[in-house]
Amino acid sequence: MALVLIPSLLAREAGGQGRFELEAATVREALLQLPVRDLVFDERGELRPLVNVYVNRAQVDGLDGALQADDEIRLVAAIAGG
Amino acid sequence: MGAAVLVGTRKGLFVLTSDETRREWAVEGPHLTGWEVFHAMRDPRTGSLHAATNNWVYGATAHRSADLGETWDRSEGIGLPEDSGLSWEKSWHVEPGHADEPEVLWLGGTPGALFRSGDGGSTWEPVQSVIEHPTREQWNPGAGGLCCHSIQVDPSDPQRLYIAISAAGAFRSDDGGETWEPKNSGVAADFFPDNPFPEVGQCVHKLLLHAQRPERLWQQNHCGVYRSDDRGDSWERLEGNGLPSGFGFPIALDPHDPDAAYVVPEEGAENRVTPNGRLGIYRTRDGGASWELLTDGLPQQAWASVMREGMSFDGLDPAGVYLGTQSGSVFVSPDGGSSWVEAARFLPTILSVEACEWS
Repeated sequence: MALVLIPSLLAREAGGQGRFELEAATVREALLQLPVRDLVFDERGELRPLVNVYVNRAQVDGLDGALQADDEIRLVAAIAGG
Repeated sequence: MGAAVLVGTRKGLFVLTSDETRREWAVEGPHLTGWEVFHAMRDPRTGSLHAATNNWVYGATAHRSADLGETWDRSEGIGLPEDSGLSWEKSWHVEPGHADEPEVLWLGGTPGALFRSGDGGSTWEPVQSVIEHPTREQWNPGAGGLCCHSIQVDPSDPQRLYIAISAAGAFRSDDGGETWEPKNSGVAADFFPDNPFPEVGQCVHKLLLHAQRPERLWQQNHCGVYRSDDRGDSWERLEGNGLPSGFGFPIALDPHDPDAAYVVPEEGAENRVTPNGRLGIYRTRDGGASWELLTDGLPQQAWASVMREGMSFDGLDPAGVYLGTQSGSVFVSPDGGSSWVEAARFLPTILSVEACEWS
């Protein structure tokens, strides 16, 4: 069971829920279960370029690495905007 | 019955409310925090609120609320087909469909795309005929991108629609959006010195239809203010008769008077502030033959900018006019522009104002 933590804006869009415990084999599989997957991925299924993904506090480049039980996935918005 | 104005900003949606006198206003919000609200409206057919929303990290979408903003639902899965080679970038404008089709809404945005919803804004389908328009290769993005910012539905014919895209021009459909014909005859594109009157490529800033006289259209363009009395088949340029400049972004129409229109000129494309160091709103009551400067209650020392969605009317009598500036002030005239009050100030950068009933 992986734990997924999402930023506050996404949590509001998910009805106030910021933590999700999900059964998933990969990071991508976990993120695709989120009710805000359309905000995390674009219309082509690509991770949006300003969404950074951390697994156990280490940033990952790809989303297809295998998850271990109790892994923590954290989504962080890149520093951008104004 | 109260009056309200939905104020879309760079940092969420604000709702200003008042009684019918429209002199004292209360500010509620922000709703949709974290979202840039390019445009929001209350659908007069259903009472639902709809917003064209964008976030620089999470993309472009639309939100709706059936309970006056208490709760919001996001439209999921808005996107353009992969074989188009296009990606949905920005939601600009959401428009109710015809009164006879209460579940139909239209959403326009970047890159020059139009979506139709047949279920009240829950899901959206791209309009293929706009994506595949034969003139698309001649379209060029303006400073705000290749944005479909104006959508008008002819109240006398649900099959007749208009869109305007910057910088592609105005288009009319007589078959419910199956096909679109450019409607730019007589509209200048001075930024093409080699061909200043092309079939397409005009930089429309805002296009509106007058509901009482639906064959009449108005547009504020990059290159002048125009009126058409034949559904866009031909356009007459209206400046040079009281307007300090033909450049500006918003235009608003008095719903009770097809001859009355309001614009907020800016000095020009190279200096986009209101001219003469004041916030000047100009009104015509004779179809654009002459324009008068409105000043009562407006700041007489200002270098203001008003976005293309930054001015609108309500449906009350006398009609109220609403204006939102990039510097975060909302000005309201409860008497058709003759006098103004500042209803709010220091809001975030205002992108849109839309008046509606509130109860």
